[in-house]
Order: sequence, then structure tokens, then C-alpha cells
Amino acid sequence: MHPLPYHRPTSLEAALELKASLPGARFIAGGTDVMVRLKGGAPRPSALISLRGIAELTRSEVAQSARLGAAASVADLLAIDALREGWPVLADAMNQMASPQIRSSATLGGNLCNAAPCADSAPALLVHGARVVLRGPQGERVLALEEFFAEPGVTRMGADELLMSIDVDPPEPGLQTTFLKKKRVAMDIAIASVAAGLVMNDGICTHVRFAAGSVAPVPMRLPATEAALCGHPPTDARIAEARRIAEEEVSPITDIRGGADYRRRIIGVYVERATRALAARFEGSE
Amino acid sequence: MTDATTSTRPAKRILSLRINGSTWEGAVEPSALLLDVLRYQAGLTGTKRGCDMGTCGCCAVRVDGEPRLSCLTLALDCEGRDIKTIEGVADGPLLSSLQQEWADCGAAQCGFCTPGFIMVGEALLERNPKPSEAEVREAIAGNLCRCTGYVKIVEAFMRATAD
Repeated sequence: MHPLPYHRPTSLEAALELKASLPGARFIAGGTDVMVRLKGGAPRPSALISLRGIAELTRSEVAQSARLGAAASVADLLAIDALREGWPVLADAMNQMASPQIRSSATLGGNLCNAAPCADSAPALLVHGARVVLRGPQGERVLALEEFFAEPGVTRMGADELLMSIDVDPPEPGLQTTFLKKKRVAMDIAIASVAAGLVMNDGICTHVRFAAGSVAPVPMRLPATEAALCGHPPTDARIAEARRIAEEEVSPITDIRGGADYRRRIIGVYVERATRALAARFEGSE
Repeated sequence: MTDATTSTRPAKRILSLRINGSTWEGAVEPSALLLDVLRYQAGLTGTKRGCDMGTCGCCAVRVDGEPRLSCLTLALDCEGRDIKTIEGVADGPLLSSLQQEWADCGAAQCGFCTPGFIMVGEALLERNPKPSEAEVREAIAGNLCRCTGYVKIVEAFMRATAD
């Protein structure tokens, strides 16, 4: 790899100033995507700006709600008891990312900024209605994570902005969640994944969230699938309908890891499995 | 016309690293990988370059105790951090219990992947001295061995954790 200039600012302001003064520079956090791309012959940035020296970006606050530092490593986030307990679906998804060595470098912010359709953390964060906090020369702005992804590899973050944190609200009372990911072995990229959240009251689904990965240009919520179940009891007929809608709602491609038809089927199967598994958790509790 | 910023090599930087308990200092390319600094500048060739893209685990070292892939880690990001390589695992001629079991079980065949496995394994055993076989297999999920089929490797782990 041809040598590149390297900068390691220690404040957000300095990082943004560097980015503005160095056209074509690239932010780097854990490096597990950026370095692989550079070695793979991706267009060379003019410089690398490391975000790992900025304490504000690696700090997380987790209590009733969570503010997760964009440059905190996945391993560091997984070590936060309150995060694992409060948002188990996110911990589950992060635990399935790559390998322990990758998780100790890779960051949650990097997983999102890389904007891969298969980003493991995205469906779980979408189920929780996560927001991303961006910081640019004009100050801060907040986007729903759903609005953050534009197309494969592209976010709606400006070239002069950086991702500061990922904010997650307290889970809805009684929320049950699950994450299902189709892959062959560890390290594998998801062929398809579904994160699901459900609240039931008196046998009725009162809050339904589905989000899917690897089956559209960007990680996506499945609003039509959600609507098919919300306000109804999870009967066999309802679940079959939700499954059918989910298969129509996604728009997968065929690639080296799986065919589009197969991916559609997997999403349908996962919607059904997730619904039945989550509904079962409410049985006997009412 | 050539853009001056891309045609000239950026100036080398002085880097001070703590490696296996000793201080190493040298001038490095600003975007140098930890792997290259260890192998070609610090002379520690026990850390191996396998896939060079974060998939095989042969280049694993420990940074502040955590297993890290040195082929994806910028050396300058490690300034002031505590780095441990395979050369720092044995205490003189005294192998660690995992290394000893590795040798006794025949867990190394060609041996190229061994340093990466040992570094990840030492990190696991420090955090969890009595892992289950499933936990061992999870910990080494990012390490590829093309010789053994992992049976002897897992056996070495399980023997290293038995009293």
C-alpha cells in the first residue's frame, strides 16, 4: 500500500477542520472496512484521519436510553451490561459480527457509515428506532437511521460531517426482540437477516417492528409487514399474510452468496419464525 | 500535471511502541500497518501475514490485552498502547500452558497459523480460564487453519484449561 498522510486529531473540532482542509481525506476508526478496501484497490484517499483519539467519540452513556459513541469498538459496547440487558437484540447482532479480533477493532459507527446492505447492527438498531447524530461545521443534526442510508456504500452524511453517536430510546414496555441471520460459518457476511420486535396486549400485537438486512440496497424497515400484524392476534392466517407481504416488500439481488428468490424465501421464513418465537414469550404472561 | 500532495511520499513519523514489555522506537510511514512495523522494522517475524485482509487471523496480536488483527491496524494508532506478540508469550524457555499443550497435542502442522491462534487463545484464557468447547470455538472463529481440521487445536485448548 502506498503510504498516506495520517492525522490523529484529539477533538471533534480539529477533526472537522482537518476534513475541510484536506479534500479527499477519509475518516478511519477501527479500520476493518477502510483498510480492506484500500488494499483491495479502492480509490486512494488523500489522507487518513483517525477518529480513535477523540474521547467524545469513544464514550457511551447507557441508562434508560443509550447514546453509543460512534468510534467505540463493538467489543467495548458488548462489555456494557446495561446495553446487553436493555437492548438484547442489538447485543445479539453485534455478537454475530465477524470474529472477536474484528469486534475489538471494528466500531458501531463504522458499521453504519460503511452503509453495506448487510451491516449486522442495522436491522437491530432499526427495530429500536435508532437515530444518528451527525456533526458538521454548521453544528449537530439528527437523522433517523432509516434516513441515513442512501444506497449501497453511500450515506446521507455530508463530506464535511462525521457521525458522533447512535442514540437509542428506551425499549417500549414489554418489548420482546429477536435477531435471525442466515450465514454459513463465522466471519460470514449475512445472506439475509431479520431483527424483530413485538409487544402483545390481551393477545393482540400492539407494537410490531421488522427490519431486514442483505435484501435491499440498504438495511430497511418492513412497514407493510408490520402493518399486517399490528392490531391483530398472531393467528396462522395473519402470520402467513405477513410472510407473503415480507417476501414482496424486500428487493434482493442475486450475488455470490445467494439468489434473490432464496433471499425472499428466507425473509418470509424469518418473519414467521420471529413472530411465533416472540408471540410465544407472551403466552402465560397475560 | 501531478498533484503534489499525492506524488510525494508523506514524511515518516517517529513512533514509540511498547512491545512485549520493551520500548521500540523507529521512523515509520504514516500509514504503516502494525504488521509491517512488527515484522520488518522490529524484527518480530513470529506474527504472520496470511490473507492480508482481516479474514485468516494469522496476524493476530494483542493490543492492550485485546486480540487485534495487525494487518488492519495502523501502527500510529498504537502509540502508547501495550502490544504483545507471539515472541512475548513464553517466559524464556518456559512455554505458556497453551503453547505446551499445542506442542504436546500436535496442534501445529505447518505452523503458520499457530501464532495467531495462540494470541487469541491467551486473550480468551485470561478473560475466561475455564472456557467450554463452544466458547473456545467461538473465540477462534476468526482464525483459519488449513492443515489440522481444528480437532487437535481445540484439544490443546481443552487440555490447557484442565488442571
